[in-house]
Amino acid sequence: MPSVHFEHVSKRFGATTVVEDFNLDVAEGELLVLVGGSGSGKTTILRMLAGLEEVTEGRIRIDDRDVTALAPRDRDVAMVFQDYGLYPHMTVRENLSLGLRLRKVARTEIERRVTWAADMLQLEPLLDRKPKQLSGGQQQRVAMGRAMVREPLVFLFDEPLSNLDAGLRAQMRIEIGGLQRRLKTTTVYVTHDQVEAMTLGDRIVVLADGRIQQVGRPIDLYRAPVNRFVAGFVGTPPMNFVEGRITGENGGAQFNADGMRFDMLPGRMPTTMPSGPVTLGIRPEDMEVDPQSDGPRNGSVAGRVVLVERLGGTSHVHFDAGPNRMLASVTNERLPAVGDAIDVRINGERAHLFVDDQRVSSAS
Amino acid sequence: MRAERRSGSLMAAPYAAFLLIFAAYPILFALVLVFLKWDLVTTPVFAGADNMRMLATDTRFWRAVANTFVFLSIHLPLQVASALMLALALNRPLAFRSFWRAAFFLPVVISGAVVAILWSNLYATDVGLINGVLVRIGLRPVPWLTDPSTAMPAIAAMVTWKNVGFYVIIYLAGLQYIPRSCKEAIEIEGASTWQRFRFLTLPLLLPQTILVVTLSTINGFQLFIEPYVMTGGGPLRRTYSIVLYLYTNAFAYQKMGYAATIGVALALIIGSVVFIQRRVIGNAEAL
Repeated sequence: MPSVHFEHVSKRFGATTVVEDFNLDVAEGELLVLVGGSGSGKTTILRMLAGLEEVTEGRIRIDDRDVTALAPRDRDVAMVFQDYGLYPHMTVRENLSLGLRLRKVARTEIERRVTWAADMLQLEPLLDRKPKQLSGGQQQRVAMGRAMVREPLVFLFDEPLSNLDAGLRAQMRIEIGGLQRRLKTTTVYVTHDQVEAMTLGDRIVVLADGRIQQVGRPIDLYRAPVNRFVAGFVGTPPMNFVEGRITGENGGAQFNADGMRFDMLPGRMPTTMPSGPVTLGIRPEDMEVDPQSDGPRNGSVAGRVVLVERLGGTSHVHFDAGPNRMLASVTNERLPAVGDAIDVRINGERAHLFVDDQRVSSAS
Repeated sequence: MRAERRSGSLMAAPYAAFLLIFAAYPILFALVLVFLKWDLVTTPVFAGADNMRMLATDTRFWRAVANTFVFLSIHLPLQVASALMLALALNRPLAFRSFWRAAFFLPVVISGAVVAILWSNLYATDVGLINGVLVRIGLRPVPWLTDPSTAMPAIAAMVTWKNVGFYVIIYLAGLQYIPRSCKEAIEIEGASTWQRFRFLTLPLLLPQTILVVTLSTINGFQLFIEPYVMTGGGPLRRTYSIVLYLYTNAFAYQKMGYAATIGVALALIIGSVVFIQRRVIGNAEAL
């Protein structure tokens, strides 16, 4: 399986820069997820790799082959589209085999590969149906089968699950992940859904405004986001942010915000003390709620409950700590009621400190 | 509820009246005329099945039917091919695209008689523009409208030119409906330009093709103004169309009953041809 390399790739539409100096190496057999909001440039990057969009600057290589100027048909990649892009006038069998027929693959070989893909994706009973006679999930599987039979160098997925309902999306996510691990085909997968990114990706690239924010394993992005954007993007529910200042010495530094005081753990502070405004970031799952407040203690904040969402296994406790609305994700049996004064213990090991939106300290 | 119904009926009334006076009444009148002998002046006389019997053995009528089929056999393929190719060309990013689209649509809205007179001049054997070009590139001039073998093809080409803009619009609308992802998918799968057309564009334009074939068939069977203005049905009656023969019977020979019989027969022919076409093309889709 080949590797994919982006070298200083930029894309501009007129005066608008969509992708800026994008550098990335996708390892052989890796499933790499590009994740970001709309306008982050993730789809444009994928389309440049497919050859559907011209590269303004830089080059793209698949292994040692420079594909920057090649037509899509000469790149030997296969793409699964958001709306699947199935040929509506052809049966499933014809949809699967057209690409091979166009490439003059022998009839027996086409037959073998279609049977193989249909078997792997449970498509046999559907082979003689047309796309509009299939459910969304089945169409999705056909689109994947059409990519598989080609046995391409690289798989490209462009938000393949966005048109499915939540249950099916979770199921297809598992199927895509399993399939990729079995086939070991180098894959670039684009999504705006960070849960999809976290569960599927060997590595994740977080994009914003056409620039890479962070590249890493899902757990690294979760544990050590490099900036406030990544910290807020990765993880559900999202991280709480509180604006404040640092006072005191390095040994006994304290985070101070309106209605909130929090002793920073020694050794979790940057070597130079930030003197200006800072942001404290705490994930909802890194807090513990004590339903009875017995006054402020070290490492905890006092709050008042404004909403409790019971999800079954976990519950979301929304509370106000001073002017800040925060959310704690808890598994307690004893949940506070709306209006209760509570004590929320913050896991100091997992607290993140941001200066100018860049992370300067925290947890390992 | 009742008021709503009344206002609904009132709003539909003008069109209903139009339909009754200009469509339903003439159709009924024609059906009655089939069984009458009438010269527009004297009182109509009941003629039984005389008109139909005459039609069955009228070689001039059957000659006109054959002529019209010759016209269609040239006009239909030419119309579909030219409209499709122009639509594909106009669907691409093109300088002055709106100008080109308007230019090709213009002949559709020009009166048929005007177009016929214009093309009579283009086709003129000695002074026509087309022969002028042929002579300039070293070919011999062709007596387009006066040679029995070229007259009908010449008229077919002209009618195709006049109507192409309308069918281009139909194809352009169809092209908008081909999903972008399908076009990109087949491109990535390795299709050449021709293969993209053959395996994706053409089959997805089938509904539009059925429409173009149907409309130009119905339109083609009513061929009248062009031979009437340009050839008068000649040479050697080769451009005598069904409607021209109907017109001659009605307003030159004043055989209203017989003319109505021709009209009803034409309606039946159009109906059965369109029915067969839909069957054939519909089956092609299933393949």
